[in-house]
Amino acid sequence: MTTRLQPDAAPASLPAPGRDPEVILDVRDLRTYFHVMDGTVRAVDGVDFRIKRGGRLALVGESGCGKSVTALSIMRLIDQPPGEIASGEIWFDGRDLLSLSESEMRQVRGGEIAMIFQEPMTSLNPVLSVGDQIMEAVKLHQEVSAKEARDIATQALRDVGVPAPERRITQYPHELSGGMRQRVMIAMALSCRPKLLIADEPTTALDVTIQRQILELIKVIQERTGTALLLITHDLGVVAETVDEVVVMYAGKIMETGTVDQVLLEPRHPYSRGLLQSIPSRGRRGQPLHVIKGVVPNPFRMPAGCKFEPRCPYRWDQCKAEEPRLYDTGGGRSSRCWLYDPRFRDRMRRYELEGKDYVPPAAATELTA
Amino acid sequence: MAERVIRAGVELTPAEVEELELERPDYEVQLESLNQWQLAWRRFKRHRLAVVGSAIFLSIVAVGVLGPVLLHYDFRVIPHANQIVYAGRAPSWVSGNWDPPLLMGETARLQRDVFTLVVNGARLSLVIGVGATIISVILGALVGGFAGYFGGAVDWVLMRIVDSLLSLPLLFIILVAAQFLGSGSWFSLMLIFGAFGWLGLSRLVRSLFLSLREEDFVDAARAVGVSDIRIILRHILPNTLSPIIVAATLSVAGVIIGEAFVSFVGFGVELNQPTWGNILTNSLDFIQQGNWWWAFFPGFAIVLTVLSINFMGDGLRDALDPRARI
Repeated sequence: MTTRLQPDAAPASLPAPGRDPEVILDVRDLRTYFHVMDGTVRAVDGVDFRIKRGGRLALVGESGCGKSVTALSIMRLIDQPPGEIASGEIWFDGRDLLSLSESEMRQVRGGEIAMIFQEPMTSLNPVLSVGDQIMEAVKLHQEVSAKEARDIATQALRDVGVPAPERRITQYPHELSGGMRQRVMIAMALSCRPKLLIADEPTTALDVTIQRQILELIKVIQERTGTALLLITHDLGVVAETVDEVVVMYAGKIMETGTVDQVLLEPRHPYSRGLLQSIPSRGRRGQPLHVIKGVVPNPFRMPAGCKFEPRCPYRWDQCKAEEPRLYDTGGGRSSRCWLYDPRFRDRMRRYELEGKDYVPPAAATELTA
Repeated sequence: MAERVIRAGVELTPAEVEELELERPDYEVQLESLNQWQLAWRRFKRHRLAVVGSAIFLSIVAVGVLGPVLLHYDFRVIPHANQIVYAGRAPSWVSGNWDPPLLMGETARLQRDVFTLVVNGARLSLVIGVGATIISVILGALVGGFAGYFGGAVDWVLMRIVDSLLSLPLLFIILVAAQFLGSGSWFSLMLIFGAFGWLGLSRLVRSLFLSLREEDFVDAARAVGVSDIRIILRHILPNTLSPIIVAATLSVAGVIIGEAFVSFVGFGVELNQPTWGNILTNSLDFIQQGNWWWAFFPGFAIVLTVLSINFMGDGLRDALDPRARI
């Protein structure tokens, strides 16, 4: 127990949590488990990341990797039971959110941290008018009269580009299109001027042209108001357009961190490479699309070693035996791969000589078989 | 065309305005803007039976409220004391005897006017039916809402209480309770029906909450910082309104029938306060002597009320659902 709960790779140089005034959100060794009938699912298993004031960070990974659970843990919206935040600290603006009382946490939710959900079609209450829902958020966190709340709500709708907000405010969600509803969600989230905006796949349910508008909107408002952004997505195109820093997650763990340019242009972890190669591109027209072979491991039968080992083209004995820690790979980047352990420097060099996209033939055939 | 565009307190450059397509005309908003009640009324009107039902129900309510005031004599007064007909008289349009004119006949023994009795009975029957239903809807919605929303131990305890209450022979409990809690008082009868009528409703509300609490909009409300109580009452409960309204209308009808039964077996409202139930009770001994009108008209009033309420509830269910389209 004690060895497992050691923080993974917190470098000694980090300032004490919550002390750095430049950092708005500091998540340390977050572990969220779900105790279900078949056993315990470690949905988030030791996640560390930081967002600066006004900074933009994306959590990237495929379905079930724990990115949404991370967001819900920050908001403390995990149902307990079956969920449990087993360990960790979430420092937000000088306070550990995990130590706040439920009523203090309610003030943080919506007031200081706002969240936008994936499904605009179902995230608005069908029986309350758009205005009622925005005004409720305003009245919960600001001392205003009903008329002032109405003005704030109207202005919030105008801010997110909803035409004729005075009329829209009396309408019900079913009278709005998907893009309009997501604008309403953003208006609601931003109506209280939060310090951090968590956007959980905000554009997944929208069509491509609306996607771009919504992303641009989030970005412009985020830049202008100085709100920090935590974007959760599986879409690397969205990542490239929207954020500065990237955290790649797989099976509840961080696989790689770095700036958006570093991770997208020169991924270090085999999983990130696999993700990037899976994007269709004009340069590889006519060639079969690359896929990451295999499936996400069963949460009840996680591999003993590296969680990505069964699908990794670079794997060898070491990966099966033991799980690597998050290695600092320089330039503010890190990667959870044995290749970055000093002991395996030779192996790394060999891959580098063969080229960045080199896949050992033996491993490749074995995986297709 | 150097119009300044200010969003979120900051002036945007023309390029940004272009990018955000902020000034794009919005065609949806031009279409129509009927408010929620206008839309509900429009949907309700399409339901012919519901319109007829509510017209009938509203006239019965009007009769209950105004009738006893407008009628020219009190139901306790023997209207035609100068003509002693102990066996009762049939309605004039049946017997052909128009002296005196009797719309619904006259009872045997005390020679009371059945029409006056039925009109006076409407008030108490309706008050008991509607009052008991309001009590049971409030109790049922609260118990079911808390059980369904919180789940776990809260749910277990509340639902086991409901289970054990449902396992009791309710009719006898009501009879005994009616006897102990001020027998013969319409108010205590209303409280008793209210206090036992919420059990089924709480199960219904609980099941609705169990599914609704998983909805995204509940998570969204929690993410905005809304408290649990407020989520239950303001965010989830209105979504359960249409099944509750249907259940409540059925309950009004059920309580009116139940009150009639309890009064009929002699545990209900005192005989000097007429309800449709205790008018039926009194008629019992005289039906065999051919006094059919004494039982038929209060019975018909019950049937008409229950039917009209059910049709109205049906229409309300469709009309009040904001997701329903015209």
